[in-house]
Amino acid sequence: VVHRALWPALAVAVGLGLTLALILRPPPPAAPQVAADQPEAAEGAR
Amino acid sequence: MSVGFQAVQWNRAKLVYDAILLAAVAIFIGGFMVIAWQLHPPKNMADAIDIRIRAFGSCAFVMLTVILAIGPLARLDHRFLPLLYNRRHFGVLTFVIASLHVYSMLEWYAVQGNLPNLLVELTTWADYGKFIGFPFKVLGILALLVLFLMAATSHDFWLGLLTPRVWKVLHMALYVAYGLVVMHVALGIMQYERTLLIPAMLIGGFASVAALHLVAGHRERAQDRGAASARDGWIGVGAPESIPDKGARIVTAPGGERIAVFRDGAQIGALTNLCAHQNGPIGEGRIIDGCVTCPWHGYQYRLADGCAPPPFTEKLATYPVRLRDGVVEVHPVALPPGTPAAITCARD
Repeated sequence: VVHRALWPALAVAVGLGLTLALILRPPPPAAPQVAADQPEAAEGAR
Repeated sequence: MSVGFQAVQWNRAKLVYDAILLAAVAIFIGGFMVIAWQLHPPKNMADAIDIRIRAFGSCAFVMLTVILAIGPLARLDHRFLPLLYNRRHFGVLTFVIASLHVYSMLEWYAVQGNLPNLLVELTTWADYGKFIGFPFKVLGILALLVLFLMAATSHDFWLGLLTPRVWKVLHMALYVAYGLVVMHVALGIMQYERTLLIPAMLIGGFASVAALHLVAGHRERAQDRGAASARDGWIGVGAPESIPDKGARIVTAPGGERIAVFRDGAQIGALTNLCAHQNGPIGEGRIIDGCVTCPWHGYQYRLADGCAPPPFTEKLATYPVRLRDGVVEVHPVALPPGTPAAITCARD
């Protein structure tokens, strides 16, 4: 009984963990655009 | 087999298996590194080591996935049986590749003088309460420990010491290692590498292993239900020709024990489906050189009486077999191991 219950439970736990890890992935950094905009903003402030 | 102690019992099949395995691993790792080097030329030593970390890591993941897929694949299609033959070496090599992954990771920290950072990363206890941000390297370390345990106890010495039943239960921990590896990658590189390749590899590998086990389990359950076709205490197997020559059909006794009914030309015999070595599924094996050969490690038994050929001493339980109305039938009460019980069918 333990054998039959343990492996499906493990599979469900890993499947759930994998799905959550995929959903909760942080968004990719939008770095270059921001960096390029910064001098312009500084110019405007000046 | 069991006569005397040998570190590794080599034969031609094992050598061929290992040669193909080593070549495949070398091609994978070499190919991975060449492609990664071309796509992202390393700017420094750490970048170069990083490519090696990824190459060994992805190779170990693929190997682990294949190892876990071999069992159900062989149950679903006998053409995959040769992969089962030397799976133990496959597992040990997987541990070696995973160790090289860890060694490369340590080297990556060391060349940057950052080894203490690794310790900090592993001992920042607050991170253990997070899901995203969990110290994923710990999952990899735990998986490596399980793989080490598997590799260290893979020798028959441990099998004899622990008994096949305990040994088999212990080696089921490979599934735990696979779960740990999946989460190690999911909470690690998948979080900061935006390529689709990593989720595809993880989902593809995990889903394949899960689906193959489900399908194979479903088929075995359907086979087990076939025990209801027993009549007069005997279980119908089918016409002699329905049993593959040099192979077996597996039937299930009402108590749940599986019986492997083999055919070698005109000779038909029934043996317990559990190999005396590791309780391997002997019915998924073949008859080689006149002997029933376990698909896992090549332990051999005579079909006539279930005895290993001299000088080996293992014996399997046999079952009475008869041919009635052109149908092979097997009686589900086992005879003492080594009892002659095979029959010869007249051929047209």
